[in-house]
Amino acid sequence: MPTSSIVTSALTKSYGSLTALDSFDLEVDQGSIFGLLGPNGAGKTTLIRILTTLMRQSSGTASIEGLDTLRSGREIRCMIGVVSQENSLDRYLTARENLELHARLHGMNKKLYKGRIDDLLELMGLSGRQKDFPDTFSGGMQRRLVIARALVHQPKVLFLDEPTTGLDPQSRRAVWEYVRSLAGSMTIFLTTHYLEEAEQLCDRIAIMDHGRMIAIGSTQELKDRLSGATVYEIEFTGDGADRYATLLGSMSCVNNIAQIGNKVAVTLECWECLSEIVTALDGAPVRRISLQERTLEDVFISLTGEKVRE
Amino acid sequence: MILQGTLAIWQRDMLILRRSIISELVAVVAYPLTIYLAFGIGMQSYIGLVDGAPYSLFIAPGLITMTAVSAAYNESVWSLWFHRRVQFTIESYRVTPISVSEIVIAKILTGFTHGIIKGCAVGLVIFAITPFRFPLEHLFYYLLFLIPGSALFSCAGIISGTVMDKPETIGKVEAVLVMPLIFMSGLFFPLSSYPPSVISWVRALPTTALFEGARRILVAGEMQPISALQVSVSAALAFIAAVAIFRKKMAE
Repeated sequence: MPTSSIVTSALTKSYGSLTALDSFDLEVDQGSIFGLLGPNGAGKTTLIRILTTLMRQSSGTASIEGLDTLRSGREIRCMIGVVSQENSLDRYLTARENLELHARLHGMNKKLYKGRIDDLLELMGLSGRQKDFPDTFSGGMQRRLVIARALVHQPKVLFLDEPTTGLDPQSRRAVWEYVRSLAGSMTIFLTTHYLEEAEQLCDRIAIMDHGRMIAIGSTQELKDRLSGATVYEIEFTGDGADRYATLLGSMSCVNNIAQIGNKVAVTLECWECLSEIVTALDGAPVRRISLQERTLEDVFISLTGEKVRE
Repeated sequence: MILQGTLAIWQRDMLILRRSIISELVAVVAYPLTIYLAFGIGMQSYIGLVDGAPYSLFIAPGLITMTAVSAAYNESVWSLWFHRRVQFTIESYRVTPISVSEIVIAKILTGFTHGIIKGCAVGLVIFAITPFRFPLEHLFYYLLFLIPGSALFSCAGIISGTVMDKPETIGKVEAVLVMPLIFMSGLFFPLSSYPPSVISWVRALPTTALFEGARRILVAGEMQPISALQVSVSAALAFIAAVAIFRKKMAE
C-alpha cells in the first residue's frame, strides 16, 4: 500500500464571497506523478499556493509528507521544490549563481552544493552556459534552469505549475524527458493546460472546476468514465455519404451522427453495435471505417464544458 | 530567528552592486555634485555666511545626507517592487525555508548599505573639491545620524515598494512626499527662515532632526542627542512597520 505524500481534507479557500477551493479532498501517492487539470480560474493555483505554504486556507487541512501546512511551513519548504508559472529567475545573476543562491537559501554549504549544481547543470544541458545570464537563454533553457533550481536541494516533492507553457514542441518534450527521468525518486505534482502533457507524464490525473474535484483516476480510467459510447468514423467514396448518413441516423443503436463531407461520425451505444452498422452498409461505397479513440481532451471538455472562462 | 536567508539575499544584492559600482557611483554622485557646484559655489558670493558658516559648507552635510537617504529609499523601493512585481524573485525566495521577515530584513539592509556607500562617496568627492575638513570625532558622531537616517529611509522604501503595485505611484510618492520632506528640513536654508508658528511642526519631523543634527555636528561640532534619538526611534518604528506591512502583504 503506497504512502500518501500529499493529502488535503475539506480544503477550502474563500476570497470574500468567492470560493476558490471548495472542500477539496485529495491524496497523492509518494513517488507518483500526479496531474491536476482544470480551466482558468478552476482553483489550481490556489491549491498549489496552499500546498507550497504561500497561502493559508480558510478551512480544512493540507499536509505534505505528513506535515501540516499551517504548522510546519518551514519544514515543508525544506522538502519541496517549486517551479512556478512565472519565470522567476534572477536576471542579474548567472545561471550558476541562480542555483547557488537557491542552495544558500536552503542552508546548504558550499561543499555540498557545488557538486550538486555541477550535476544538475550537466543533466539539464546547461553546463556550457552556466556563466551566462538567463536573459540570453531561450525559453526552453530558462525553463530547464528553473527546474534545476527547484531540484538543487533534492526535494521529496516537486510542484510544477504549468512548466511548459509558452515553450515550443521540442523544448516541451525536453522538459517532459527531464520530468520522466525524475519519476519514482520524488513525488511530482503537475498542473498543466496541455492535456497531452498530463497524458504523457502522469500516473493519475484529477480534473477540477469551480474549486471542486470533479474526476480523478488514470488517463484510461477517465476516458472509460466518459461514457460507454464508441465513435466510429466512416469514410465513403463518391457522393453517397448523405444517403447513408440518413440511414445510419435512423438506426436505434446510433446515439449521434455528424457528417463532414464524405465522412460520417457515428456514436454507438456500445461497440457491439458495429456489426449492425456493417450490415446496414452492405454494398455501400465505404472506403474506411475507423475507431475514434476518446482523448483526454474529450473527457476534459465533457466535464468542464466548452464555454471559454474569464 | 535564523538569518541565513537575510545573509544570502544581502550577499546577492551586494554582488549586483559590486558589478555595477562604477556606474552606480557616477550616477549617484552627479546629482548632488551638480547642486553643490551650482548652489554652494556658484551662489556662495551672493549668499555669504549662513549661521556663521560659508554657504558651500552649510549645505555640504545636507547633500551628503540627502544622497545617502535618497539612495537607501530608491534602492529599497525599486528593488522590492522589481523583485515582487516584475522578476517574481520574492516568490521564489518564499518557497525556500527562510521566513518572510528574513527577506524584508535583507532588503532593508541592502537599501541601508547602498545609502551608506553612496553617501560616503559623495562626501569624499565634496571633501576632495573643497578646503573644508571635519574632525574625525565629528565624523564619528555624524554616523549617529547617517546610519539611522539611511535605515529610516530604507524602511520607508520597503513600505512604499510593498504597498504600491504601479511604478508611476512610486514616482509620485517620491515627488510629493519624500523629496519635500528632505528639502523642507533645512537642507538649503536655516530653520530660522520658517515663520515661528511653523517651526515647531517642522522640528517634529524626523527628517528635520536628521538634516539639522547632521549639519550641527559636522559644521559646528554640536552634538544634538535628542535629534539623534529622534532619528533612531523613527528608524526603529519604521523597521517594525516595514516588517509588519511586508508580512501582511505576503499573507494576502
